[in-house]
Amino acid sequence: MGTFIQLVVDGLSLGSVYAALALAIVLVNQATGLINFAQGGMAVLSAYIAWWFAGLGVPLILAILLSVVVSFLMGAVIERYVMRRFEQGDPDTAVVVTIGLLTLITGVCGWLWTYNNQQFPSLFPLDTVSVFGAAVSVRSIGTTVVIIAIMLLLQGLFLGTKLGLALRAVAVNPQSAAFSGLPVGRLLMVGWGLAACLGAVAGALIAPQLTLTPGMMDTALVYALAAVILGGMSSPIGVVLAAWIIGVLENLAAVYVPFIGYDLKVAVPFVLIFIVLIVRPQGLFGRRSVVRV
Amino acid sequence: MSKRHRSMLGIVALGSALALTLAGCARGGEGTGATDDAAPASPGITDSSIALGITTPLSGPTAGPGTCTVAGITAYFGERNAEGGIEFGDGVTRTVDIEALDDAYDPQKAKANYDQLKDSVFAMTSGLGTPTNRAYLEAAIADEVPQVLVMTGDPIFSDTGESPSQLGFVPIYQNEGLAFGELLVASGDDHKVAILSQNDDFGEGYVEGFKEAVEGADNVEIVEELTYEATDTAVDGQLTELAASDADVFFNAMSITPLVISSLQKAQQLGWTPSWFLPSNTSSPAAILQPGGAEAFPGVYSVSFAKAPASPAFAEDEDVQTFLASLKEYADYQDMPAFPHCMWSYMVGATLEQAFMEMTEPTRESFMEALRSITDFQAPLMLEGTAVDTTTDGQPAVSSVVVQKYNGKGYDTVESFG
Repeated sequence: MGTFIQLVVDGLSLGSVYAALALAIVLVNQATGLINFAQGGMAVLSAYIAWWFAGLGVPLILAILLSVVVSFLMGAVIERYVMRRFEQGDPDTAVVVTIGLLTLITGVCGWLWTYNNQQFPSLFPLDTVSVFGAAVSVRSIGTTVVIIAIMLLLQGLFLGTKLGLALRAVAVNPQSAAFSGLPVGRLLMVGWGLAACLGAVAGALIAPQLTLTPGMMDTALVYALAAVILGGMSSPIGVVLAAWIIGVLENLAAVYVPFIGYDLKVAVPFVLIFIVLIVRPQGLFGRRSVVRV
Repeated sequence: MSKRHRSMLGIVALGSALALTLAGCARGGEGTGATDDAAPASPGITDSSIALGITTPLSGPTAGPGTCTVAGITAYFGERNAEGGIEFGDGVTRTVDIEALDDAYDPQKAKANYDQLKDSVFAMTSGLGTPTNRAYLEAAIADEVPQVLVMTGDPIFSDTGESPSQLGFVPIYQNEGLAFGELLVASGDDHKVAILSQNDDFGEGYVEGFKEAVEGADNVEIVEELTYEATDTAVDGQLTELAASDADVFFNAMSITPLVISSLQKAQQLGWTPSWFLPSNTSSPAAILQPGGAEAFPGVYSVSFAKAPASPAFAEDEDVQTFLASLKEYADYQDMPAFPHCMWSYMVGATLEQAFMEMTEPTRESFMEALRSITDFQAPLMLEGTAVDTTTDGQPAVSSVVVQKYNGKGYDTVESFG
């Protein structure tokens, strides 16, 4: 029983890592209608910036906040000077551009800070507390709490504020939004900026666990995208739940389903997605999009 | 760009192309020595220099150790070149040029790099990685390009039947696993062992060697054995399951730096504090053990054949000081190396020099013959009790290792477990 609870707890903690990145992807998607493959790379760059500030002697929490501010500017600048040129055209082109950005940002991180593993200090101590016989690390609890807070904030932003409404309107139909007097360009910049902020928080949460390298987010990005698809593109709560489900199921399947084991456990989330997409194409928690003809 | 500039550029380009063509034509006739009956020189060697090719990861997750595989050998030959070069067995003094390309640990890029280098270099050497070295193994055999002293513990490179013009440098994985097993059996005390291994040749090799050593011993019992994939982001699930086995020794045959750090941390969080065995390439005190909090465990053991420059025990060592100075001066590597690969490739340089001094003709055949006849060579930075020996088929250039125990800063060589 102790092992079972430990596996669930470990799964939740790993799921929170995926969830952090997934939330940033949802934010850009809600604000621009795009899937931003560069999100992982941007989060890594933000984490490097925080690490660099911390290395200069800035207290960690302040270093992370500074990196959040720098990241907002970075996101806004990327939207204004790179993505805007592709937003009116074919969405596929824009997606390919984000993949190009990912490669570029990873390369820039490697060039500036080398590809060696860097030790990123954790906001939370390495201690553990015992819950029903399972050792739960304070770091996991901290990560999970921050993720839940961000998730609720985002849900509130999109559903309860004028800015959120405007962001969604721009994403769904930029032309109509412009006709209604919304400053489309500025809103898109804000959307990218906010997503980059979120990426910065995700990076700072994940880096102590994975150790900071330019490719740190590559695998996490795959799981984050899985969580986005499973949870539903339009639901921050949905993607967080989906990320947790993926983390926990993956862990449990490896131990308790003999033919899966640790060799096949990577396939678990994808089989799950396959099944969900056949039954509910909009994801577990997403809204079905309706087009009037 | 102005019209004049453009035409200038055209002339320069044309000139370069012409020069290259001429150089290509001239190559066959160069370096044949004074006598007419001498064998024609192989590609990549002239009367003044020899070119060595390296394909290794200089970007991507393995770039840290990969960069080291270039830095160490560049430092070594930098020293020699500054002294005027090396006197080869044919009486000619040559300098050594290194041409290193980045493969990002991607086998396809490694093969492409090899194709790019094969006509201009005398031999391929030092490159890190099993899949990348394997990617051009067959091509190198077909082209008769030596692929020697490469950094992989895969036994295929040391089997002359399968790899006639190849030779591995570092101990095969089995040797390292064997050393751990022998140490444990010799302790005489009862031990329960948990094993986590990478699900490929690397992990399997370690486990195979370990099991060979403990087979038939009644004081060592393997109580749990799990695997992980090199692409996994976490091994928390495995650690949880292994901790439940209450083993007092944990053999973690892992090659991924962040995963070793996180498994050291996870075991502490679970309150599981066994003794650890770690492979030589993922047991760096500075890059892994300190961030992982390894001092919480009764003992962390690794195997080695190289002096660790960061260890206080070698602070005054002459080899180490020369090595660090050359690394800075010739390889532009300013930091204290966090990976043993810097030391290993420095030794590769010294071993190649031994072969160069013995080869009687400027040919690959003569080189391979000289390289395969080195016995009991104590390369700089080698630990006492280890040596380069290239004469045993099935074994790489270095097959002897000593077991070491982490002392909080570096490693001490130990004779017994506990």
